[in-house]
This record gives sequence, C-alpha cells and structure tokens, in this order.
Amino acid sequence: MFRPIASIAATTVGEAIRRKVLLIILLIGVLFLVVAPGLGMLSARSETTVLRGMMLGIIQLTSAVIAIVLTVYMIPNEIERRTIYTILSKPVQRWQFLVGKYFGAVSALLMMMTLMTSVLVFTFWLQQRDASAIPDLIKAPVMYFVQMSLLAAVAIFFSTFVSPLVNFFLSGGLYLLGSLFAPFFQTLQESQGTPPAAKVFAQLINTILPNFANYNIQNPIINPGQQIQNEGSYYLQVTVYGVLYIAGLLVAGTIVFDRREV
Amino acid sequence: MSMTSGINRTPLIGAIVGCALGIFVLQNGIGNQPTGKQYESISETLKNGNTRTVKKLKAGVASPAFQGISSSWQRDFNQGTVETQGLSPDQLLFALAGFREMIAGILWVRADSFFDSGNYDAILPIIRLVTVLDPKQIDVYATGMWHIGYNFTDEEQRSDRRYIPSALALGKEGARNNSLTYEMFFETGWMWYHKIDDDYSNAVKWFELAQERPDMIPARRNLITNAYERDGKVDKSLDTLFKLYETAGKKAKEDAAFGNKQNRDTLENKLDTTLVRMVQRGWFAGKDGRPLTGYDVNPPFDTGFSAKVTVTEARVLRFEGTWNVLPVGTRIRAVLRDADFPNAKPAGMEWDFSNDVNLDPPRDKTFMQEQLFVRNQRFNKKVDMSKDPTMYPFTSKDYVIEFYYNPRSAPPHIQDKFSWNGEGFTDKNFLNTQVREGQRVMYTSVKISKDQLLRRGDWREKVPVIKTGNYLDKDGKAYNQADQVTIDLPSLRAN
Repeated sequence: MFRPIASIAATTVGEAIRRKVLLIILLIGVLFLVVAPGLGMLSARSETTVLRGMMLGIIQLTSAVIAIVLTVYMIPNEIERRTIYTILSKPVQRWQFLVGKYFGAVSALLMMMTLMTSVLVFTFWLQQRDASAIPDLIKAPVMYFVQMSLLAAVAIFFSTFVSPLVNFFLSGGLYLLGSLFAPFFQTLQESQGTPPAAKVFAQLINTILPNFANYNIQNPIINPGQQIQNEGSYYLQVTVYGVLYIAGLLVAGTIVFDRREV
Repeated sequence: MSMTSGINRTPLIGAIVGCALGIFVLQNGIGNQPTGKQYESISETLKNGNTRTVKKLKAGVASPAFQGISSSWQRDFNQGTVETQGLSPDQLLFALAGFREMIAGILWVRADSFFDSGNYDAILPIIRLVTVLDPKQIDVYATGMWHIGYNFTDEEQRSDRRYIPSALALGKEGARNNSLTYEMFFETGWMWYHKIDDDYSNAVKWFELAQERPDMIPARRNLITNAYERDGKVDKSLDTLFKLYETAGKKAKEDAAFGNKQNRDTLENKLDTTLVRMVQRGWFAGKDGRPLTGYDVNPPFDTGFSAKVTVTEARVLRFEGTWNVLPVGTRIRAVLRDADFPNAKPAGMEWDFSNDVNLDPPRDKTFMQEQLFVRNQRFNKKVDMSKDPTMYPFTSKDYVIEFYYNPRSAPPHIQDKFSWNGEGFTDKNFLNTQVREGQRVMYTSVKISKDQLLRRGDWREKVPVIKTGNYLDKDGKAYNQADQVTIDLPSLRAN
C-alpha cells in the first residue's frame, strides 16, 4: 500500500529539484539570508532583533512561495501532460497518487527549508558568535515547516478541482486570511461591544479557517524577554492540529479527485 | 479518454468529521478560555533563588479544563492587532500575511539611515509604524521616546516641548505592551525625571513600577533614591538607600565581581552623603521639632529675583535679571506660551494628559521654554524665535511670559542652602507656595500681546520692555529709555 506512495513521492522530489523556478526562488531566499547581516548598523540589541526578524521573515516568505508554487501545478500538470494515465493505469489508487504527490512536495519543501535554516544558523553564528541562541532560533523554522506543510495541503486540495492560477490566489488568500484572523479574532472576543452572535460566528470562522498564525511563534525569539508558558506542550498541540488539518484536507481532496474525470 | 474511480466515501467522511472535531477542540479548548486581559504579570522566585516575571490568571478567573491553541497563542505569541494606517499597500500585504517583524526590521533600518542624515521628521512615522507592527521591540519604543522628547529642537537647540505628551504616551504604550520587563517603565520615569524635571512624583511612580520588575539592573535601581529626594520624600530615599545597600552588600559577598563591589561602594558613599546632608540641612532637627538655629537653611536666603524682558526685534527677546546666589549652578526657567495653551499650568503643562500617541503636536500653538543660566548673580540671554516659525507660530492674540525657580531641581551645593523643599529659600517679591503644593518656589508671570511680540501695529516703533519693579541695571540704575515702554511684572508681595 505504501510502496506506490513512496515511489510517487520520490519522483515528485526529483521533479521539484529540477524545477528551475523553485531553485531561483530558493536562491533568492538564500542570497537575502547571506546579505541580511550587512544591514546591521544599529545598537547591539537592535541589530540582533532586526537580524533575527529579517532572517526568519525571509525563510517564512520564501518557504510560503515555494510551497504554493510547488503544489499548485502538481496535479493539473500531470493531467495536462497526460502522464497521469500512465500512472493510474498501473496498480495505483488515486488516493495513493494524491498522498504520494503531497509527501513528495513536503519532502522537497523540507530539503529546501533545511538548506535555508542551515544558512540562517551559519550566518547568525558568523555575525553574532552566540551559539547559545541557535536552539531557540531553530524553533521558528521547525514551526514554519508545519505551517508550510499545511499550506501545501491546502494548495493540493484546491489543485484537485481548480486551475493553477486560481489555486495560486486561492491558497495565497487563505494563507493571508489564516494569518490575519487570529489577532482579529482576539479583538472581537475581547471587545465588549461585539454581539454574542458575532462572537459565535467569529469562533466558527476561526475554527474552519486553517489557522496559520498558530505557527507564527517568532516574536518571543526575535524579542527575548517574554515569558512563554508550557512551550513544549504548545508546539505539540499546534503540530497535532496541523497533522489533523492536513489529514482532513487530503481525505477531502481524495473524495473530490476520485470523482473527477481526467 | 476519461478515467474515474469509485471508493467508499462513508469512512472518508467519517475521518473528515473526526479530524474536524479534533481541530475544534485543539483550537478552541474546553471550558471558558481566558482572554489576554485576564492575565496579570507577577514575580515568582525560582528554586535557584532568581526571580522572574510570569503571566498568571487574575484572581477569580477560572482556569479552563483544556486550554486551546487560540488562547495560548494570544497570551504568548500575539504581536497585537494590525493597524493599517500609514502602511503602503505592499507593506500592508506583508504585515497581514504574518511578516510583521520582518517589515518592522526593514523599517527600523531605514529609520537609522534617517537618523544619520538628520532627517528627524521622517523618523517619526516610521517609529510609529514599527511599534504598531511589532509592539515587543523595546528599543524602538525607548529610542522613539527619546527622539520625540529630545531631538526636535529649534536653531538654538531648545526642545519643542509640545512633543513631550506624545513621548510620554509612547512610553506608556511601550510599558503596557512590555509589562514583563522594567525597561519602558524606567524610560518613562527618566523622561519625567530628566526632561520634564519638575513633577517628580510621576518620576517616582514610574521608577517604582520599574523596581517591581526583577530584571532591573542594580545601577538603575539606585536612581529611585534621587527621585525620592527631588520629590521631597527624603526619609523614603534614606530607607531605600539602606535596603539597596544591604542587598548590594549581600550580592558583593556572594559574588565578588568588580561591578557588585563597585555598586556596594557607590551606595555606601551615597548613603553617607545623604545622611550628612540631612543633618546639615536640618532635616532631622525639623522632624524632631527642634529650632533650626545654626543650620545652613536658617534663616531662609532671599534670592532677590528681578527681571527685564525686551522685545528687541520681532520674535526676538532678551531676558536680563538678577539672582543673588553667587555660586554658579542656578538655572531659572523662562516660559513664553499662548495664554490659552491647552492643558497649561504655571511654568509648564499637564504633560501626561493623553494615552494616545499623537505625533502631530498643536502646531498652531507656541510653547517656548528656556533655562536662564546665572553667573555673577545676573542672567542675560537672547532668545531668537524668528528662525523657527513652525515651532513658534505666534497665531494667538495673547501670550504669557513666566519665570520659575524650584529648589528641588537645584544642584546639591545650592540645595545645601535651600534644602529639598525650599525651606532655606525665599524671595522678597516672588516667593510662591501655591503653584507647587508643599514647595517654596519663585514664580511670576505677565501677559504680552502678539502685536508686542511681533513688533507690529502700535509697537512698530516702540520697544516693549517688561520688567519687575525691583530691576536695576548693571550699574545699579533703574532702567528707562525714551523709546521704550515698560510693562510691570507683578510682584505677589507688592499686590
């Protein structure tokens, strides 16, 4: 059952690595990471804050672009180039094809994010010579990986029934909404003037939307001094949340893809 | 060619429902979820004896059966609500998408280049944007507050005091958003202590709040004793010095690092000096109800303040006068402001009147504050406001000139005579015990018109001169010239 998934995933990784557009995005991201320390002209603490903020932002932004670009074309391309017929004519179920594609995309994403994180760690160490801060710094890319895996799942779900261009904006828009809604939700919940019905509606939206903001844990890393409680438990919760959401999206994607004529 | 496949959808739908349930519980938790306002910052002692500040639920707020991600994220990771004002569309897009710290960093680097080029006006909106995007960047708050409070000056390096309420509002916002650390509480206190340099009870209030935070560094903790002194709470200052000295002594014993020993010695020195001053200035004698005969502060010294203000040209004033204190170190405050300046109070204003960070001060109002330095018992200072029309717009019809001296702001060698609350200070004509409660200060004010300040209308040819009745020229003569019109500065005693 898992062999076809692994084969499709391995092929997908190979394709992803050969795609020039992804490599160019990755190269730009790495270049920005390398030149970011050159911007440091501020006070020592400001410099560290700005450097951390910018480097983590570059990783997150580059990863988001890669995650979307990587996944929106995956299934439509196979259908357009008719290679899907060759695959599905073999003993491969559609769900295996979809899941294999997803794991391939996530594996490629993992490789690219690992490369960027290595550059981040090396550049940070070169600039700050502070190895003790590195474990804290790595927490953010780890959470970003879960975030981007979720984003890839969103994009692959949409790719089962919409065109790549629409999917690009749909996934990007959902990422934006999912990042924005969390602080907006707090404002609504804490405001005494919000009607109870609006609060329930906001809670519903907050539950349905993939909550990408959950993974934006960079602020205390950028501005140390804040006291985080039950940090490990929080990371575990958001990872389980991500896995459940990804599973739900893949199952929903399977249902849609299964009914689709190709 | 078309290909479809058929699978049993029932277990798949069941799996989706299961995932949705799990997502709901993880995201929203079980039971009533606390909001950010239901937490308070408290200090707790760790097993190793160190202290730290943590956020705990306020008394009476029930802990949820299971805390959801949403609530935990709001408590520990939320950067605050995104405000869209002032962001360009691309910045807004990035900020909304969760790249707020990155945008904040880029903007802050940009602000730094403006600092280097002296383009101070361009920095203000950037500071505001950065604090909105990332309210946890303490350096931006601290630097922004200093910048707003100190760097907007005229051609003669006088600060634009209309900005101070904004600087304080920024400091207060920074403290609210970073309540776990002492820094913004200290910075706000410092603005009161050093820049406003008058209403020391507020400096004490903010330094006390900073003191409650365990991360405050020892050398900064010591400053509160000076603030207590200037606030007239000398006993409290002494008590605090004893406590700080005891703590510093213990710390130096535990860890004989140079910094710890130096802090202990500094406090010992300060403690000795304070005790000597309290004795010399008759503080203990006064408390015991003993006569102050023989103490430095008795009898009170008459400073003999007199002043003359000449409007030499349009928007140019010359302040001259006498002050009988021979040692250097006296600075008399002179203020020229609109008669209806918002929130004005004698020789100042209600600096802390707003919680909103308004980076646009009342541009149609004038508030000039200058320190008149006394040397050889006289002061003589030309104040030229003609080169800075945006800082001194002179749009109102009526203005007020004020003179003010507060012994609490005096340097120690002068306080040795005047004492902390002005017990050894008097002025035959201008002693005032009303404008600052519990203090003996020098204060007087007079109205002046826009026509007089701008030398126009009836005052085009005549020179307006404002002077106190006791003003004498350097050669000891009363001042009178044919082309000048004298306006008397009222003496409270004479009235």
